[in-house]
Amino acid sequence: MTLIDRTSPDTRSPGRETPEVPPRARARRPGRWSYPLVFASPGLLVYVCFVLAPILLAFGYSLTNADLFHPDAEFIGAHNYTTLLSDDAFLRSLRVTTTLTLIIVVLPNVGGIAVALLLDRPSRLYKALRSVFFVPVVLSSVVVSVVWMALLSDDGLINTLLRGLGATSPPGWLSDPDLALCTIGFVISWQMLGFCSVVYLAGLQGVPKELLESAAIDGAGPWLRFRTVTWPMLAPAMTLNTVMLLITGFKAYDHVQVLTAGGPGLGTTSTIAFDVIQTGFTENRTGLSSAMAILMLVIVAVVSSLVLQLLKRREVDL
Amino acid sequence: MRKALRPGALALLLIAACAPVGSGGYGSNASAGGAKEVSFLVFETPNLTPDYWDTAIKRVTDAHPDIKVKKIVAPSAGERTAYAKQLLASGQLPDVMQAVAPSGFAESGHLYAWSEKELAAYQYPGSNPLGGKIYQLPYNTQPTPLVYYNKKLFARAGITDPPRTYAELLATAAKLKAKDINPFVVGGGGKDAFAAAYPWIALVGADVYRERPDFLVRRRAGEARFSDPLFVRATQKLADLVKKGYIDKAGLSRDYPSTEKAFLDGKGAMYPMGSWFAASVDAKELPFGIGVFAWPTDDGTTVVPAYTGGGPIVNAHAKNLEAAKTFALAFNQNTANNDVLVKTDAAIIAIKGYRPPTMGPVYQDTLKVLRSGKVVNAFTVETGDDALLPGMSDKVFAIAQQIVAGKTDGAQAAELLDQEWAKAGGR
Repeated sequence: MTLIDRTSPDTRSPGRETPEVPPRARARRPGRWSYPLVFASPGLLVYVCFVLAPILLAFGYSLTNADLFHPDAEFIGAHNYTTLLSDDAFLRSLRVTTTLTLIIVVLPNVGGIAVALLLDRPSRLYKALRSVFFVPVVLSSVVVSVVWMALLSDDGLINTLLRGLGATSPPGWLSDPDLALCTIGFVISWQMLGFCSVVYLAGLQGVPKELLESAAIDGAGPWLRFRTVTWPMLAPAMTLNTVMLLITGFKAYDHVQVLTAGGPGLGTTSTIAFDVIQTGFTENRTGLSSAMAILMLVIVAVVSSLVLQLLKRREVDL
Repeated sequence: MRKALRPGALALLLIAACAPVGSGGYGSNASAGGAKEVSFLVFETPNLTPDYWDTAIKRVTDAHPDIKVKKIVAPSAGERTAYAKQLLASGQLPDVMQAVAPSGFAESGHLYAWSEKELAAYQYPGSNPLGGKIYQLPYNTQPTPLVYYNKKLFARAGITDPPRTYAELLATAAKLKAKDINPFVVGGGGKDAFAAAYPWIALVGADVYRERPDFLVRRRAGEARFSDPLFVRATQKLADLVKKGYIDKAGLSRDYPSTEKAFLDGKGAMYPMGSWFAASVDAKELPFGIGVFAWPTDDGTTVVPAYTGGGPIVNAHAKNLEAAKTFALAFNQNTANNDVLVKTDAAIIAIKGYRPPTMGPVYQDTLKVLRSGKVVNAFTVETGDDALLPGMSDKVFAIAQQIVAGKTDGAQAAELLDQEWAKAGGR
């Protein structure tokens, strides 16, 4: 209060010199950012300690030949990065991750819209069904994987049913190297279906009924109404779902660990996230695994931003 | 307003400063009553249940009331060594770790090397040396694998005796197949990829280590390669078994417990598995008898791949090192604990003067096979200077899956192993 009184123009007498503000008092003046900084500091502290610092540390490690058992490593510049970009195993992991992400982006998006359209009804039954579809989302990925592993094993329910229906040699869902990746993609998609459905349901609630009614009056059938009214209005929901699914796909680890542990065979279902752990904690190559993690971070950031921009553009066109 | 904010900001800083960061975790502390705390990393299997560990720990702490034990359970049996590495990386290496491979930990100075005096009680005190020192108590011998077989299915196929030579093994498999019986149950699904490698481990023991017991030492020195004809020939035998349909590829969808269940449910006649399997069999009332034989060699000589070790390793930097050492030795040499381990995990205790409790017929047969043959290292299980390079055993398991899936032959598998060896930093 005293500070404001001293410097306020209202308190100055005309013709008198402005009294000098003592330097100590000036230093105490709250800056423009002081209050926001104080209020944001708990969040900032958590962010710096648990997000920013680990990323910076990982980047630091990625420029060294750090070994889990010998942390005092030598600086080797970008050697880890050049090694990875010419390493068949890493490029294979990149391919596996990309394929898995594509499956995970497409299946729950398509299934989510279908389920949302089916559940977009006012009755209590459908409201209850919405909860049923959402249950897998809140379950632990490990639990989901263990259940699906039991279902998909050769003695599991699915192949037993197929045998009952006359199949002599049912597919090796998890044991066939050519099929295992698709199976993992399906399991993750199944778990994410509820999330997508809920987001699309929320989107459907925002579609103005008048537009649908006027389209119907103009003679549009259900498909035309969906294509020209509902689908464009679902653009924000699709943006959210797609970005979330992209991130889920790129960081897929727990399903892979439980269902196939990166196999069957060398790296047939080994994602980058899985490889990071293997390289770091089985092969003890901390520097190399840090470089993998940083590359993954860059890839996820770039792809997510590109997709976000692309989908946002569609939203703007509405 | 500013004055009001100042204490808040100060409090925040204090909270941040006091927050536990980094170390701590599983570190030992002196607990209430003066007892010294020791953290102990264990792992659970169908045989080694939570109750087994709790009771075994209590027996030791009852005898040593000055020691208090904090049990830490690894996420899975197969991941216990990787988990210990994660704990090390976060400054939480437990004080005592059960059956964790010492390689890497020992060379970097994290493990306590047992003295001759401390090892005097063991039958094979020189097992698995690393740089001439012993870091893991060698208290348990595990043949890995032997071949357990379903006597009823053998009888149905008209087989009266287990095979003694490799040619007889092939004939046995052919007879079983002709009767529409799956000859081998092999697992290896999910996180239990290791189970896919048991026939390969048996073949390497019978055909490679028998000829060249120091094969991996020579491989480390760059004097031998996996693509050497001897190793390729052994590996091709596995690929041929798959090609002939004697190994069911469907096993790759089964994790370890499901694989055991498949064999016990009669879904195959032969089950290459470690000696611990005898415990599950003897504990059950099965509608068929189970026999055991060593994986046959070409000329009929009995060769048993086995590993003696599996005991605790101790963190050299444990806060209560003496308590940790005392606990490890006492846990390991407690007769009641070992009796239970024999009953639950068919352990073959390698401690001088130890007499196992009365056990079932499959355990007794397992002992007979072990004593009847030439003992060689068990490929991928070695933990001393003759071990695979870090991370290589997982590659072996993955390549075993490829062979069992019918995607890779012996030469390709050996070539892949050499490539992975080079990537792991080997010569």
